[in-house]
Amino acid sequence: MKKKEQVFSKHMTGKKTQERLLKFNDLLTEMMKSQGDKEGALSDLRVLEISYANSPAVVCGSMLAEMGAEVIKIEPPSGDSAREITHNAFYIQGVGIPFVMESRNKLLITVDFENEQGILNIKKLAEKADVIIDGMKPGYLDELGIGYRQLSMADPSLIYGSVSPYGHYTSKGREFKNIPDTDLTAQSESGYPALTGNPKAPEPYNYPLRAGIWAATYMAAAVGTAGILTALLHKDKTGEGQMVDLATYDALSAWQGFSHVWGFTNEKPRTRVGNYDWCLFPYGYYKAKDGYVTVSASSDADFRGFLKIIKRWDLEDDWRFLFDRIADNPEKLDELEKDFKKEIAKHTTQELTTKSISYGAKAAKDKLRAKGFPIIVETLLPQQVLKEDHWKVRGNFIEVDIKNYGKINIPSLPPRMSESPSKIKWIKIGIGEDNEMVYEQYGLSLPKKRE
Amino acid sequence: MEEDYFSFTQQLFTKSQISSKPEALKGIRVLDLTRVILGPMVAKWMGIFGAEVIKVEEPKDGDDWRTGTYWGKYWKNSCPYFQSLNPNKYFVAIDLKKEEGKNLVLELAKKSDVIIENFRAGLAEAWGLGYVTLNKVNPKLIYLSCTGYGQWGPLRYFPSYDLIAQSMSGVARITGFSEDNTFKLQDYYGDFYPAILGVIGVLSAIHYRERTGKGQFIDMAQAEALMRNMHNWTYMSVAGENLGPTGNFDPTMAPSGIFKTKDGDFISIAIATNKQFKALAESMGAVDLAKDERFSETAQRLKNAPIINEALAQWVSTQTEADIIACAKAKGFAAAPVMDDWRLHQDPWREERGSVVEFEDDMYGKGRWAGPPVSLSKSPGRLKQLSRPIGYHNRYIFKEILGLSEEEILSLEKKDVIGYWDNRVGKRPPTYYDINNDKIFNYKRNEGTQKR
Repeated sequence: MKKKEQVFSKHMTGKKTQERLLKFNDLLTEMMKSQGDKEGALSDLRVLEISYANSPAVVCGSMLAEMGAEVIKIEPPSGDSAREITHNAFYIQGVGIPFVMESRNKLLITVDFENEQGILNIKKLAEKADVIIDGMKPGYLDELGIGYRQLSMADPSLIYGSVSPYGHYTSKGREFKNIPDTDLTAQSESGYPALTGNPKAPEPYNYPLRAGIWAATYMAAAVGTAGILTALLHKDKTGEGQMVDLATYDALSAWQGFSHVWGFTNEKPRTRVGNYDWCLFPYGYYKAKDGYVTVSASSDADFRGFLKIIKRWDLEDDWRFLFDRIADNPEKLDELEKDFKKEIAKHTTQELTTKSISYGAKAAKDKLRAKGFPIIVETLLPQQVLKEDHWKVRGNFIEVDIKNYGKINIPSLPPRMSESPSKIKWIKIGIGEDNEMVYEQYGLSLPKKRE
Repeated sequence: MEEDYFSFTQQLFTKSQISSKPEALKGIRVLDLTRVILGPMVAKWMGIFGAEVIKVEEPKDGDDWRTGTYWGKYWKNSCPYFQSLNPNKYFVAIDLKKEEGKNLVLELAKKSDVIIENFRAGLAEAWGLGYVTLNKVNPKLIYLSCTGYGQWGPLRYFPSYDLIAQSMSGVARITGFSEDNTFKLQDYYGDFYPAILGVIGVLSAIHYRERTGKGQFIDMAQAEALMRNMHNWTYMSVAGENLGPTGNFDPTMAPSGIFKTKDGDFISIAIATNKQFKALAESMGAVDLAKDERFSETAQRLKNAPIINEALAQWVSTQTEADIIACAKAKGFAAAPVMDDWRLHQDPWREERGSVVEFEDDMYGKGRWAGPPVSLSKSPGRLKQLSRPIGYHNRYIFKEILGLSEEEILSLEKKDVIGYWDNRVGKRPPTYYDINNDKIFNYKRNEGTQKR
């Protein structure tokens, strides 16, 4: 940080403040420098991940492993079929991109579930485990005698995280236990596509629209991980384990919660409003001369600043207050947006973002801060994001070597922690790659060689 | 005979027993200096699993999201979204710009386990309420900072919101049918997802502290959270091209999409594995498809996705939602209706799970709200109280935790160091509510100087 940094608040200036910020900077420098030497927050934790065609369970294991836990992933001898899932049929040594990406720091072993010796091996491993992630069909491990019912009897301090579309209890959970997990169906059952898309487009472009990332899978996995950690703190205090049940088709709507708020207060669903927002305006993506920009200027002060930037102060009187700018009839907003679109299209992304930054810097010096900060940034493509220095400085993307393949790029798990950082130590993808080591370490009986 | 599995699990999660079970995070005190969505949601998790959360707001205006309501609509003088984001918290109002106000926060921080803030990077430090200062008065403190880009790096001081983070992370250009017409992830995913990763950070840090006695600083960057769940980076590094928008087709699964049924309902179907495809093909009465070498292997299906998707769309258009779900249950493939707010809110399954709960609040009365998003059998989460007006718990917290007397509180009030709501919708108590006779709001008001 050589250059003098642009600040956007008058509170960030002054001698005493500068001293404080320098000290803080030293702390951050030290923190970023020493990440490699420190152990993870969960380095005392041993986790067994037993899952099949269940990506949220795989991600749960991955997040715990990144936080320092030893995660042993158990697959049948033919491998977890989650390996088949991939973008555009692109495979790394036969393994799909999502599986590779979420195999961080795991030990991979195979166990034959259909064989008595295999079950004994899992029992042996479970004795040494603090956490089990069950990503199999609900009830399957119970049938094999290695479900929560049996394992918790042997070890009451065991934390048992069950991960499935409709959960391991309730009447619907029982009725729907055959339905496997996918991100798209989880998004749908959570009501998410119903909020997205353009109802005015021609068919089928007017359909409810899927979020283009695995929005439901990752939300569910993170909620499940947080649930397991909450149970861990209960165990730290009381010594008692428990069952943590995650329904991957429900977690997104339960955590975001606004669908329930809407249902409760309006007793009817929202309709799709394209890129409008129900609470904020302007708050969306716009086409500039040479690309796309994102505008967030919804508070009244920010809105006025935005009008100044696009030189349309004449609109101020009619649209001054936020509640004039959000309407239950989005068509009314088209009128205002038409004007925005016209102005924004006249400028390059660079021009607009520069104007936003200099406006914000100037307004911050204003005593009452009444001038707002209309934020305009370029709506970046992922390939542009990769070039941004900021993420390099933070070490957000990690290059990892895959044995006999080469380097791949992996996004790391925030948050960055000063004492017990998350880390990506390795990625292994071979089926049963760690069999020898793990079988020996835990005194398991080796599987019979298969042809 | 052994009890069947679902009967066994059902009694682990019996709803009527939740309130008598212990709370996982009881005894942990969280100082919540946050506003809007990201920070408050981290604190919400802590609160619903039993931590004591003290939310500090600015007097008069309070959290901006008290007025962050859809179409400007309110419920009993409160913003219903704000209610959903801030249950199970104590509400105090302190002017952080005043020295005495800062001191109050310092005193509270000394007695807290976790502090969460989502001011812009550097701001808390500039005010003398940052990690450097607080670590000195309480070395065991876990300090979570939530910002757009983190406290470290050249972008750090630039402001962020959900949508700005979506844009800076590249996620903004993935949803839709073409790169030139993409849609945002609705309902502030750019806040809710970073929030749950923030929760993971805080809970991990508490566990680490249990073992080592050490507190720590946690730097949570909104945009990084979104990048964590994008497959783009890994794909780009090996395939040499980007992953663009693909509409309703999930490019990792074929067939997959959102389709229209005979009755005009929307339904999602996605096929991840060969086994699932076989189940679908049987349901479609087209077992030959599973033997066709264009579709029999996952890799082949992904390559021939348009053809198989077309066939599926055709089949769905001859079926009802109920027909398809029945097949999915019987044969084992993934299909789900595209739910909407109202339908999922009324869903008996969610009520049975406890992810939506009927709750009667002392101030706001009956309501139906999102419950815990994950079920714990021994120490389940629960709703205990909705939000409260600005400064509602001043007396309770300052007396009980800081040991202030009534006189000291009156003096702080007089100097505007602590305060209350502006008489505006979103900030004040419900119209019908008799705040003057509220025991908590007036906590030990008549005891004067006796208690110290």
